[in-house]
Amino acid sequence: MTQRITIDPITRLEGHGKIEIFLDDAGEVSSAYFQIPELRGFESFCVGRHAEEMPNITNRICGVCPEAHHMAAVKAVEAAYGVTCLPAARRIRELIYMAFFVTDHTTHFYCLGGPDFIVGPDAPPSERNILGVIRKVGLDVGKKVIDTRKRNHELIKQLGGRGVHLCGAVPGGWSTPVSAAQREEFRRFADLNVEFARFSLDAFENIVLKDETYRELVLSDLYRHETHSMGTVDASLAPDFYHGKIRVVDTLGREVALYDPKDYLDHVAERVEPWSYLKFPYLKKFGWQGFVDGQDSGIYLATPLSRLNVADRMATPLAQGEFERFYDTFGALGKGEGGRNLPVHHRLATHWARLIELLYASERMCELLDHPEICDPKVRAVVEPKAGVGIGSVEAPRGTLTHHYETDERGVLTKVNMIVGTTNNNAPISLSVMKAAKGLIHGGKATEGILNRVEMAFRLYDPCCSCATHALGKAPLELAIRKAGTGELLDRVVRG
Amino acid sequence: MVVIGLGSPFLTDDSVGPQVVRLLARRGLDPARLVEAHAGGLLLLEELDGENGAVIVDALVDPRRTPGEVVIADLVSATRNASCSHDCSLAEALAMGRTLGLALPPDGAIHLVGIVAFDVTTFGETPTPAVFAALGPACDAVISLLLAGDTTRSAEYT
Repeated sequence: MTQRITIDPITRLEGHGKIEIFLDDAGEVSSAYFQIPELRGFESFCVGRHAEEMPNITNRICGVCPEAHHMAAVKAVEAAYGVTCLPAARRIRELIYMAFFVTDHTTHFYCLGGPDFIVGPDAPPSERNILGVIRKVGLDVGKKVIDTRKRNHELIKQLGGRGVHLCGAVPGGWSTPVSAAQREEFRRFADLNVEFARFSLDAFENIVLKDETYRELVLSDLYRHETHSMGTVDASLAPDFYHGKIRVVDTLGREVALYDPKDYLDHVAERVEPWSYLKFPYLKKFGWQGFVDGQDSGIYLATPLSRLNVADRMATPLAQGEFERFYDTFGALGKGEGGRNLPVHHRLATHWARLIELLYASERMCELLDHPEICDPKVRAVVEPKAGVGIGSVEAPRGTLTHHYETDERGVLTKVNMIVGTTNNNAPISLSVMKAAKGLIHGGKATEGILNRVEMAFRLYDPCCSCATHALGKAPLELAIRKAGTGELLDRVVRG
Repeated sequence: MVVIGLGSPFLTDDSVGPQVVRLLARRGLDPARLVEAHAGGLLLLEELDGENGAVIVDALVDPRRTPGEVVIADLVSATRNASCSHDCSLAEALAMGRTLGLALPPDGAIHLVGIVAFDVTTFGETPTPAVFAALGPACDAVISLLLAGDTTRSAEYT
């Protein structure tokens, strides 16, 4: 007979994540799954609508990544209509997108990932949060987090038309240009972002890397998987969150694919498992080999960590310095084939990678605002609907986001498909949860501290469960421990 | 005062928060700042900053209640509904905001109006019939709470 553990949220409605752990008679973990509930009818909801509606519909299917859906959607519409975005509008989009990355990565590090290191993975849940961080590090940190979110939301609100669900993107351009006064104000914001990102990296250095216990935790085998890595890169093979080609490197860092996002179906297939409504994408080149990692497995990773793994360099100077330090710390700098870095497979390093991306996004904002044509008033173009197939892709904070639309000659949608950031990581998350559960739960004993360490394996991905099923971004977590065979509930923990 | 309608406008009964806010705007009473939002936690904190009171309107899933029932709750009951798994709960966010000295409404001036939902997992812009019928009463409930919280402006709502 086997037992089962579940982590379950009670809160209201939408797409909550659920981890179920099954224990055998000896109380050892026999299997563990990451599950999300089904949300129905997204494609039929969209098909029959005008494609231009999609940037403003899809930006409301997720409360956490509206900017990512907004950008991917308008790029997909443009691709379907065969038009390109005006240069000034392109820069405005990327500027907004970088501001979004700054807020998102800041929030994850200080509210979700950071507390495990700053307050401690075994601290009670009531202390393992942003308040605990403030108590430990000081009020100034809280102020910096709030101020960073506030100024970047202000930029998004001014340029995006709305603070929460922006509506500025139009096919071929952007609704409004940047004024000279705005440029000056936003440039100040960007400088403050750079300063904040450097502060955050220093904090990571002092609190995590210089602490032997945490360093061991990051380097432990418990949170390590060898999978392939995916991310979007520019022409110089540096990460580009807004636009570029998709690069895939294998477990040893060798390039196995570099393709235009429109060709994603040539490289990625999606597997369906009976116990999950979420699909499991994998690389066609390797095929689906089951829930296993390694060079022969088709499972790939699409996160801040994988984006660094696929890159040859960072496009901004300070981020480049941190990029080199990152790989050097793991003994991977220049140690791969042809002098490339070896990929880092320690999943907890994702938190560090996220901060390097925070620095890059901040520096990139400076570059965009320093461009002589950022205030160019020519941001809108006349675009006619047409029949076509359009694929729009961006790097969402949680991984590569792909929107795929097909339109008729009136611009009415006839087909819609999406692969969201979290979906890419569905199989890796399951691998990580399984490994952590097997490594930590023995003899049927699962204390709060142990369950939190299982959650850490899940949390580092910052999965957007409801977004992955095309719904909202409020996704609490449930963990249940059950007997295998009977399914009897033995223990249950809820995070709201 | 701020009224925050939480939920997705495209997920059947989950749309009640935004729908109530839009209905209030159409009534033209301008009783408070009206906001549509999707996520709880820090996002709510930022919307509450500088306000002297707030009403959060949200769908409620409770199998013990009848769909369409309007439930008025205080902050303690509301906090679990208003959490965001990507940052923190509303209670944590408010505690943080107060620690940082933000100008937040007192707990007693933050209310939840929940409408018991029937279907929150199917994409659609129209609530199910019982829930749709509750939108008007939910607006009335919001206005009552605003009146109770701001008697100096009561003439504007009557």
